[in-house]
Amino acid sequence: MTDRQFLIRDLLVLFGLTGWALSLPFYGSEFMVSMALTCLMYVTLSSSWALFCGSTRYLSLATSAFFGIGAYTSALALAQLSWLQSIALGAALATAVAVVMGAAVLHLRGTYFAVLTFGMTELIRHAITYFEKSVTGTVGRVLTVVPERDAIYLTMLALAVLALGTSIGLRRTRFGLALMGIGADEQRAQTLGVNTRLIKIAGFAMTAAFAGAVGAAMSVRWTYIDPHTVFNPFIGFQTVLIALIGGAITLWGPLIAAIVFSLLAETLRLKLPHLYMMSLGLLLILSVLYLPGGLASVRTDTARGWWRDTQAWWRERRYEWSGDKERDKRRERERRLV
Amino acid sequence: MSALAWLELIASGLITGGIYALVALGLNLQYGLMRILNIAHGEFLMLGAYLTWMLQTSFGVSPLWMVPASFLVLMALGLAVHWLCFRRLGATSPNLDIFEARGLMIAFGLMFLVQNFVSYFWGGDLRGYDFMTEPVKVGAAQFAGNKLLVFALALLFSGALIVLLRTTLLGKGVRALMQSPVGAQLVGIDTQRLHPVMFGLGLGLSGVAGCLLSMAYTISPSMGEPYTVTALIVITLGGFGSMSGALAGGLLLGVIEAIGMHFTNPSLKALLSYSVFIAVLLLRPKGLFAK
Repeated sequence: MTDRQFLIRDLLVLFGLTGWALSLPFYGSEFMVSMALTCLMYVTLSSSWALFCGSTRYLSLATSAFFGIGAYTSALALAQLSWLQSIALGAALATAVAVVMGAAVLHLRGTYFAVLTFGMTELIRHAITYFEKSVTGTVGRVLTVVPERDAIYLTMLALAVLALGTSIGLRRTRFGLALMGIGADEQRAQTLGVNTRLIKIAGFAMTAAFAGAVGAAMSVRWTYIDPHTVFNPFIGFQTVLIALIGGAITLWGPLIAAIVFSLLAETLRLKLPHLYMMSLGLLLILSVLYLPGGLASVRTDTARGWWRDTQAWWRERRYEWSGDKERDKRRERERRLV
Repeated sequence: MSALAWLELIASGLITGGIYALVALGLNLQYGLMRILNIAHGEFLMLGAYLTWMLQTSFGVSPLWMVPASFLVLMALGLAVHWLCFRRLGATSPNLDIFEARGLMIAFGLMFLVQNFVSYFWGGDLRGYDFMTEPVKVGAAQFAGNKLLVFALALLFSGALIVLLRTTLLGKGVRALMQSPVGAQLVGIDTQRLHPVMFGLGLGLSGVAGCLLSMAYTISPSMGEPYTVTALIVITLGGFGSMSGALAGGLLLGVIEAIGMHFTNPSLKALLSYSVFIAVLLLRPKGLFAK
C-alpha cells in the first residue's frame, strides 16, 4: 500500500471507531459507559505518550505529574470558569510545567531521563501535599460543580480522537520526522540540521498538554481528589506499560493495548486486585522479552518464529539429555588424540 | 543549640545514613555493574523483611540467624530471575541503551509481581516484632539498641564489600566488568558466569538489608518503593558503581535529612530528599565525589 492508502485506511478506521464510541452512551449501561471512559482515558494518555516518547525513545515517567496538575487545575477553576475553559487551563498549565521540566532534563538520555522525570513527579506530589497540609489546611478537595455524564464522555472522546488524529498526522510532517530522527540517532539528526533541543521540548510539551487535559476532564469523575490519587505514579506507569505492550512506535498499538487493559482491569480488579497487578507485571515482562515491538507488531510470522525457536530449543535439550552431546564430545576428543 | 544536641543530631543522622548505605549496596552492584536499574530492589528488600518476620514470629528464629538465610534465599531468587529474564534480554538487545530501557521495564514488571505477591500472601497490614528495643546509653545520649546494631552491621557489610572489590581477584574481575564488559571478556574473565552471580549477590544484599530493617522498623507491602528511591538517591550521590562513594553518600544523606528535618519540619523529609536527588542528577550526574 502507498502512503496515501495508509492515510485513508487509518482515517476510515478512526472515523468508524469514533462513530461507534459516539453511540455508546445511548444504548450502553452505566457500567459500560464508565468502562468506556476509562478506556478512552488510557487511549489518550498512551497514544499521546507514544507521540513523543515512542518515536524519540525518551522514556518519560512524568505522565502522572501532568495528569495531576490538570486535575488540580480543573478542581480549583471549575467554580469560576466554564467546563471547556478549565480543561484548556489544565492543559496550558501542564504544558508550561513540561517546558520548564524539559528544558532542565532533556539533555539527559536513557535511564537518567526516566529516573529524573520520576523524581520530579514525586517532588511535585510531595510539594502539593505539603502545601495543602500546611497552607490550605486540607488534604483533598471536594468538587461541587460537576458537569453531566455525557459532557465528560464527549470531552474524553474528543480528546482521544484528537490524540489519535495528531498521531496520524504527525508522522507525515517534518516535526514528526525530526522526532523519529532523534529516536534513531540523535547526533546524526543534529548534524542534518534538526534543532533537537527545541524539537524535544516541543514534543514533550505536546505530550504534557494531552495528559493535562485528560487529568482536567477526569478529575470531575472522582468528585473528591487528593494528591495521592491524582499524582499516583501508577497512572504514569500504566500509561507507559500500555504504550509499550501495544507497541510505542505504532499508531494503533496503544489503542489496542488500552482496550485490552481496561477490560482486564475492570473484570479482574474488583474481584482479584492482587492477581490483576501480578498478571500486569508478568505480561509486561513477557512482552518486553518476546514481543519487543509490541502487540501491534504481531503478524502471522511472529507465532511461526516462536514455534521455530521452541522447536530449536527442544531439539537442543533432547540432544543434551539423550547423551548424544556427551558422546559426540568424547568422540571428538578421541579423534584428536589418534 | 548546645554542642551536645548537635552531636546527638549528627549521630542519629549517621545511624540513619548507615542504614541508607546498606539499602543502596545491592542496587549499586546491579546498576553500576550491569546497567540493570532494578526498580524492584525495594520489593526484594521487603521480601527479605517478610521472611525474617515470618520465621521470627512463627518459629521464634532469632533475626540474626535470618541474615545469612535471607541472603541465600534472595540470592537463589536472583539467580533464577537472571536466568529467566536478563539472560535472554542481554542476548536479544542490540545495544546497551536498549538493554537499559528494557531492563528497567522488566524491573517494573518484577516490582508489580513481587509487591502484589506479598500483599496477596501476607495481607496488607503493618507488621513488626520486638528485638533489642531497650535503649543504649552512649555518654549522655540514648539510642535504640536495634538501630545501633543495624548501623554496625551496615558498616560491616559495606566495609566487607569494599574490601572484597578492592583486594581479591574476584573484585578485580568485577571492577573490570564495570569498566568495560567487552574488555573484561577479552582478558579472559568469564562474564557469562560473573553476570548472574553479581545479580544474585545484589538481590542477596537487598535481602540482608530487608532482614536488618525488619529488626528496627515496622514492615508493610508498600515499604519497598521509598527504599528504592532512597537507594537511587544514595547511589547517585556516590556515583554509580562506587561502593565507598555510596557509603559516604548514604551517611551524608542521613545527616542532611536529620539536620534539615530538625530545622524545618518532619513532613518535609520526602521533599528534601527528592530535591537533593534532582539537584545532584542535574548538576553532578557523575556523583558528588567524581574527579
